[in-house]
Amino acid sequence: MKKKVLACVVLFSLPLLLASLLAGCDGTQKEPGSKELKKVTVILDWTPNTNHTGVYAAQKLGYYQEQGLAVEILQPGEGGATQLIAAGQGDFGFSYQEEITIARTKGIPVKALAAVIQHNTSGFASPAEKNIKNPRDFEGKKYGGWGSPAEEAMLKALMKQEQADFGKVEMINIGAADYFTSVRRDVDFAWIFMGWTGIEAELKGLPINFVFLKDYHDALNFYTPVLIANEETISGNPQLVQSFMRATVKGYRYCIENPRAAGEILLESVPELNRDLVLESQEYLAREYQSDAPVWGEMSEIRWKKYAEWMYDQGLIDQPLEPGKAFTNEFLTGV
Amino acid sequence: MRRKFETIANVATPLAFVSLLLVLWEYLIRIKAIEEWLLPGPLRILETLMVNLPLLLKHARSTLLECLAGFALAVLFAFVISFFMEELPLLKRAVYPLLVASQTIPIISVAPLFVIWFGYGMLPKIIVVVLVCFFPIALSLLGGLAAVDREYLELFRSMKASRLAAFRLVKLPLALPSFFSGLKISATYSVMGAVIGEWLGAREGLGTYMTIAQRSFQVDRVFAAILVVTFCSAALFALVSLLERLIIPWNQKN
Repeated sequence: MKKKVLACVVLFSLPLLLASLLAGCDGTQKEPGSKELKKVTVILDWTPNTNHTGVYAAQKLGYYQEQGLAVEILQPGEGGATQLIAAGQGDFGFSYQEEITIARTKGIPVKALAAVIQHNTSGFASPAEKNIKNPRDFEGKKYGGWGSPAEEAMLKALMKQEQADFGKVEMINIGAADYFTSVRRDVDFAWIFMGWTGIEAELKGLPINFVFLKDYHDALNFYTPVLIANEETISGNPQLVQSFMRATVKGYRYCIENPRAAGEILLESVPELNRDLVLESQEYLAREYQSDAPVWGEMSEIRWKKYAEWMYDQGLIDQPLEPGKAFTNEFLTGV
Repeated sequence: MRRKFETIANVATPLAFVSLLLVLWEYLIRIKAIEEWLLPGPLRILETLMVNLPLLLKHARSTLLECLAGFALAVLFAFVISFFMEELPLLKRAVYPLLVASQTIPIISVAPLFVIWFGYGMLPKIIVVVLVCFFPIALSLLGGLAAVDREYLELFRSMKASRLAAFRLVKLPLALPSFFSGLKISATYSVMGAVIGEWLGAREGLGTYMTIAQRSFQVDRVFAAILVVTFCSAALFALVSLLERLIIPWNQKN
């Protein structure tokens, strides 16, 4: 019986032993000379992609280090970054104008620091053979979405503008399924980003029609994505925000000037990514990051205001937004 | 002779069947009945697996770490709880519904909250694994303990054995076969638990690898990762089966 007890002890300790062995051969080593750097975390809005390349570039090229920062980049779960930033689980994050607008009107203290892409490059895409060229063609078609109230409002607004009847669109929840799989079977059009899924469609040789939101409704040229921080960080430690943004601005400039090299940096940091897609997307975004703005990242009060008013009219927020509380440009200059 | 033939047939039949399925699958891809980006063929998946092996192993390491730690904790909790519940019937009545309730929590909805509460480290994933694994182990152990023949216990009592001795010498050994069946179920679930935990926010791990691959439209890499997950689960299952053989050899049929 003693033997049995011994065996039971082995049973408990074996997995623990294996676990500690695995932990022992941990590949991460301490970086030399990193002791004086301040640790900063950036939480992404999604899996790593070309919207984030500026941050990866600033990390790899030592721009953050120049500012005395050691930046760690984290991938969020399903909930995105905003909640985590608000809860103080990270210093900086990626979000969207929509999310920040909702957060602000609910009293969640987060603020946008820069627009990663100057104009809204998202829109409704469909395989070319379905002939969906403008919002009027949505009638009688099936829309594949993820069931958020904003989507419905967006479709309604676009179709109303074009005197089309939203009631004739069938809404289908495709959950986490991607554009390509869903339009194969049950869905006619879906909401995608030109710079990612749109590029992939090109690479796959699947021609698409693309209805850009911003082409149909003035208010819908919202910023997506945006870089954000907790208000406490901004008012309590402006020095940190300034240093972080100085390096980040430099990182995105590098992406604009060297799309190919920037793509390689992203791939080196995240080898799990699709190589062709990253390089092609980087070429597209090099033109879109800054676009016609005087400096990368700059946001306009009017666009924040217009979109918030639109959301208010649609009942997506229950009180008006003070745009000044939702964003700031003050950390974009002074590089 | 006949027995030998039977063993060969037992191995060969499923092998032949699986091979046939794989060939059919590859064929359907080759004649383009299914496009490769919707469902890659087995050869393509194997090739992707080989090319990405170092990267996959790096991710598999943290997944295994989470799942082993979670598994060990689940076994420990299950043992402690079952011991007290068996010895104190009042406690059993009070806690049993809670045990069942713990299993009805939809992991998918709480795992993102774990990240908000406990951050990005391994802890939230380990908690998910514990949640997934604890119940089958505790339930099977409790069931095994409850099924022990009362006459043995009465014999022990008549010999003035302590309760602890009765537990250690009678109840536990007799409950072990049932315990191991729960353990085997949990072993296969544990890897999946860790992957779900990572899926919902992590630095690295097979779950992270899968989300990135899926969202940059690389279905072949998703399947390669699935192969690794399957292999890890099977390996853990085999390990538990081996332990079972060593600890309770009397339970082996044939």
